[in-house]
Amino acid sequence: MSAPFKEAADVQGNILRGYRKPHVRHLVLEVTDCNAARRWLAACISGRSDGVPQITTEAPWTTKPHTCFNIGLTSEGLRALRAPSLDEFPREFIEGMSARAKKIGDTGPSAPETWPAPFNEPKRVHLIATIYADAIAQLDSVQHHALADGGGLRLLGAFDGQSFPHDLVHFGYRDNISQPRFEGIHDPKGYEDAQPMAPLGTVLLGYETNFEGLMWHVPKDVGHNGSFNAFRVLAQDVAGFDAYLDTAATELLGHPNVDDLLLPGAEATIGHGLSRHAALREVVAANMCGRWRNGVPLALSPDTDKPPHKVALNNFDFVGDSRCPYGSHIRRSNPRGGQIVQRVANHSRRIVRRGMPYGPAYDPAKPDTKERGLLGSFLGANLGAQFEAMSCDWLNLGLHDPRVTGSNDPLVGANEPETSWFDLPLKSGPPIRLRGLPRFVRTRGGAYTFLPSISAIRYLGALTN
Amino acid sequence: MPSGVGWFEGFVDGLPNNRVFKFVASRILVPYWAWRTPVKPLEGGPPPSMQPGDNVQCMMNLIMPLKDKSPIGRALAALAVAQNKDEIFAGLDNVGTVHFARFVIVDNNICMFSVYDGDFTNYIRDFVATIGSVFNNVVALVEKGETVMPCEQNVEAFIEWVHERDMYQVPDLATDLFKDQEAMNGSKAASGNDDLRQLPPRLILQLNANPNVSLGSGYRAYPGYSAAQVRHKLGLGW
Repeated sequence: MSAPFKEAADVQGNILRGYRKPHVRHLVLEVTDCNAARRWLAACISGRSDGVPQITTEAPWTTKPHTCFNIGLTSEGLRALRAPSLDEFPREFIEGMSARAKKIGDTGPSAPETWPAPFNEPKRVHLIATIYADAIAQLDSVQHHALADGGGLRLLGAFDGQSFPHDLVHFGYRDNISQPRFEGIHDPKGYEDAQPMAPLGTVLLGYETNFEGLMWHVPKDVGHNGSFNAFRVLAQDVAGFDAYLDTAATELLGHPNVDDLLLPGAEATIGHGLSRHAALREVVAANMCGRWRNGVPLALSPDTDKPPHKVALNNFDFVGDSRCPYGSHIRRSNPRGGQIVQRVANHSRRIVRRGMPYGPAYDPAKPDTKERGLLGSFLGANLGAQFEAMSCDWLNLGLHDPRVTGSNDPLVGANEPETSWFDLPLKSGPPIRLRGLPRFVRTRGGAYTFLPSISAIRYLGALTN
Repeated sequence: MPSGVGWFEGFVDGLPNNRVFKFVASRILVPYWAWRTPVKPLEGGPPPSMQPGDNVQCMMNLIMPLKDKSPIGRALAALAVAQNKDEIFAGLDNVGTVHFARFVIVDNNICMFSVYDGDFTNYIRDFVATIGSVFNNVVALVEKGETVMPCEQNVEAFIEWVHERDMYQVPDLATDLFKDQEAMNGSKAASGNDDLRQLPPRLILQLNANPNVSLGSGYRAYPGYSAAQVRHKLGLGW
């Protein structure tokens, strides 16, 4: 075990370790009065318990707090606060998420022009304050304290999310399994993981990155111990996803090589009492993700979600003849140590994911058209090198493997039914190609935020220019 | 010339071939016009697109003006490339998404022209990550190169620096107009037609702001394939 990270108290919480709270609320705020907002920031780290909620840090806690509170600033927010070092920030952050739409696949129905308020006016989105709590009443209470005196901030919108049992998300998969593990950060669960430990520079500015000998620029006065967040409101079309699985399964039933995909009589290994059609649906769903819905990776158990010997959900790599599809979601977003085209990039584009579902769980017995999805926070020390690099070259385009180049991620990609395809590998012989995948995930808003350290918040709070 | 065209139209039509007018237009009119109508230089590289075919075989046309604009300066640049060639090429190989890359000296510029797949910043970032300090030997000879050295410790700034020196790529549609103009220039002797009015005004101003441009996205013998797909198909390994 390496020495504990000494600057934990200077880093905002939820970056290096997740809070794992069941409720979240993101408050989207506009700075209306620079000086009042600076005082509000100073109050957030004042140590006083009677006013504005205090920022939760990475400092180890003895008892877990009931609520946690954190902030992120957009480049427009830093401008509104008249922060002097804005031009030292990377281009993608200064331009903001909506300006990078084409690069990250926010086109067509995901284009920023289609985003509802408050993200339809990106110049007014200055600060995103996030509350994590055990109950909704606590969210309300913290919000009340945060905005009681105005603080030079105007509330533009609020997004509530809540975790589902067993870490499930709307498409019915278990999520939140693989996260980078950091040197010097206590990992109580200690999951087995075949991936190397991530350097702190994966997610914090001022430390060694995944590229040997290469450091990201640290903006003066505010950069050190900071991180970046691609905050996204991602609507999920559960009915569309279910319908596609039905169509694909029906199509597969008539495919000459379907027995290579699922041996006749093997339906029971997928689920008790499943019809062949229902079992094929699960096979397709598992291949699209790279994991069965319960999280068991295809890399370790390609034929069943209930392997005879318990498998560690994260203890695998994509080497040799892994039957995890090259184009599956988990393999595209994190190819681990597997062979990829960009030989230097294997672990360099990893991100920390802190997502939580929003909207009611979909009940196929009572179909509805309510919006539901994921409030995603994708963290990294360099948005361009991690979130954007993964989004544009891997999730969409599939550049990392010539066998999937020209196709998009089956789950989250910017797919068009006319051109999309996804290959289901077979035990032997060429894969079965599925076509006609629509876009299942639509971006409804988002912003690039900077998650400043405690000392950076103090600096911003004390500005007088 | 159609009938009914008076002496004034004839005079105007003849202006582009008039040496005095040419001088006035290029040295006085265009600079004045550009001053009155400021046009920012357009950014280098291919325009963003969601079409997979547009995102492979992208062109980088990097023009780096040498500090020392003399035969000695050019020789130093040639030596810097030659001495580091193996490492640079090995680096490009490791990036994995590069089809072709070559170094050229044009006038007093050291140029790197390459064809790559995917996002430009990923290409440059991975390149710096894989070759580390090697490219500094070339950058050191280039105007303002010292502002981004050492590259491996100024990655974001270096990417921007390269981007700023990458030629603007005139979109294919506008290029069609330009091609017509070129064709017109080419057939000047035959037609005697060198009518400046047919040059789209905005293109003139743009070329005033971006003296060096790439005309369109270029020709491809096998469009839509990544370098790794070609290597994979040919059994070269990727």
